[in-house]
Amino acid sequence: MIELILMPLAAFVIGLAMVLMMRRIGARLQRRVGPPLLQPLWDIIKLHGKETQTSHGLIHEFGIVMAIGGFVAAVTLMPLPGMNGLAEQGGLIALVYMMMIPSLGLALGVGQCANPNGSIGISRALTAMLAYDIPMVIVIFGVAFFYGSTSLVQIIDAQQAGGFATWGIAEMPLLALAGLFAMQAMLGKQPFEIYVAPAEIATGPMVEMGGKFLGGLFIMQCFQLYAAGALYTLLFLGGGENWLTFLIKVFAVVAIPMSIAFLFPRYRTEDVVRLVWKWPAMIGLLGIAFLMY
Amino acid sequence: MTELIKTPRAGETLPVTAGKRTNPLANVFDELVRFAQSRSLFMLHYCTGCGAIELPPAMTSRFDMERLGIQPMVSPRQADILLVTGYVSVKTLKRVILTYEQMGSPKYVIGICSCTVNGGMYWQSYATAKKLNDYMPVDIYIAGCMPRPEAVIAGLRELMENIRQGKADSWKDYYRHYDHYLGHQQRLFGETWQTPTDVISEARHYGLFGPDTLGTHTALLEQHQKPLEALEMKVDIPELTARR
Ligand code: SF4
Repeated sequence: MIELILMPLAAFVIGLAMVLMMRRIGARLQRRVGPPLLQPLWDIIKLHGKETQTSHGLIHEFGIVMAIGGFVAAVTLMPLPGMNGLAEQGGLIALVYMMMIPSLGLALGVGQCANPNGSIGISRALTAMLAYDIPMVIVIFGVAFFYGSTSLVQIIDAQQAGGFATWGIAEMPLLALAGLFAMQAMLGKQPFEIYVAPAEIATGPMVEMGGKFLGGLFIMQCFQLYAAGALYTLLFLGGGENWLTFLIKVFAVVAIPMSIAFLFPRYRTEDVVRLVWKWPAMIGLLGIAFLMY
Repeated sequence: MTELIKTPRAGETLPVTAGKRTNPLANVFDELVRFAQSRSLFMLHYCTGCGAIELPPAMTSRFDMERLGIQPMVSPRQADILLVTGYVSVKTLKRVILTYEQMGSPKYVIGICSCTVNGGMYWQSYATAKKLNDYMPVDIYIAGCMPRPEAVIAGLRELMENIRQGKADSWKDYYRHYDHYLGHQQRLFGETWQTPTDVISEARHYGLFGPDTLGTHTALLEQHQKPLEALEMKVDIPELTARR
């Protein structure tokens, strides 16, 4: 029971650090110093402390709750070192479902704002989801097939049995590559940044969000970064034997798409779908073919 | 949470939710919130005039505004500071006011460049609004034609210090003295000038309704003001309706 509270809390704190890392990486690549240590926290406190909380109705607020709630639920399904949470009961399939809820929640909430930029943004976000879910599911199916189980706990045990040689990334390098590709799209980082696109559609889904709504989305971003990093670590990097190795792995995984992101401009929506369905999906299928024969 | 009944539907007037801060611990955290507010400023740079060209160097590697926790945002809903960078023509001023009224409080206005202070070199222009302070409450002026990025950063630091000490509350002036500001706006834009935001109801909502909120100018506004309505959602494509 206590784990169900501690796991999202840990995810939030790690996520805050990841947001800071992301902004620092961006700053370093642009030869700046970047924000101070507690900047992500100040942003969230300030947004929740705003006096005007422009709401567009019940669904607007409910959508944000759904967006955060989906990730909180997903996080409790990902075993941490020393904490298993719901991982035994849930398994990979439930996790994949939970990871989709935030996008749908956001779509609901933004839909009620009736801002054209928001609607365009959310339609692009769902298109992007359609794009990256195909390789994502292929990758997750491949891993589950290889270990003969959809239980994350068993998958991690099998990976930790023989050190690096039994890690997912050593056993199924092609799937790991496809997973990394899909993760970049899942995080919505350049070149897959189609639904935020500040200069084009004024941050899309976020355009009507102020105050606690934007604060909620900032919190969601923390969870999102953590969830993506942790999922990849659990599937391919043997999970965490202890907190130190777990944190190193999770941060390293998230640092990769962040560093790549700032080198790219933005693709068009249809190009994203074409690219993601072609390359990571193909690499993933090839990876599965290698596993099967 | 908003109650379901208050959700606007097409054809209804938009409700203004009354009520104050409901969290009993709000006052305990005021100090922390003020500090967070001063350390995290999202700015909407409404680049009206030539002064805007000083913002890119202030933001990028040489002066790096993000070290102070200031970052650009693109939508007024998300923004805390409105940067008005240079002369505002009468036409632009309308949009600046619309933008300002959309922003969530607490909000701050920074006037960059001499032109926002007193018209600068456009003093005799027929098309330029001379004093920004007449139309909306300005927190900090950064003078110069144009001010260097160091000056912009220095001005922002001063604003941060004011916010931390709780002194930067000129946004409240807009509600307390709405009649004054509206009067100046009407002088430029004509008597039928109206924004989609119901500032008077908002003033009541924040508890900032004062003796100067209403006056001769708001009386003029109320004479012709149309009630705010939610937009009706409909598809209006002649080919489609003809086929039906
Ligand atoms: S003060 Fe000078 S630089 Fe600034 S807007 Fe006016 S003319 Fe341009």
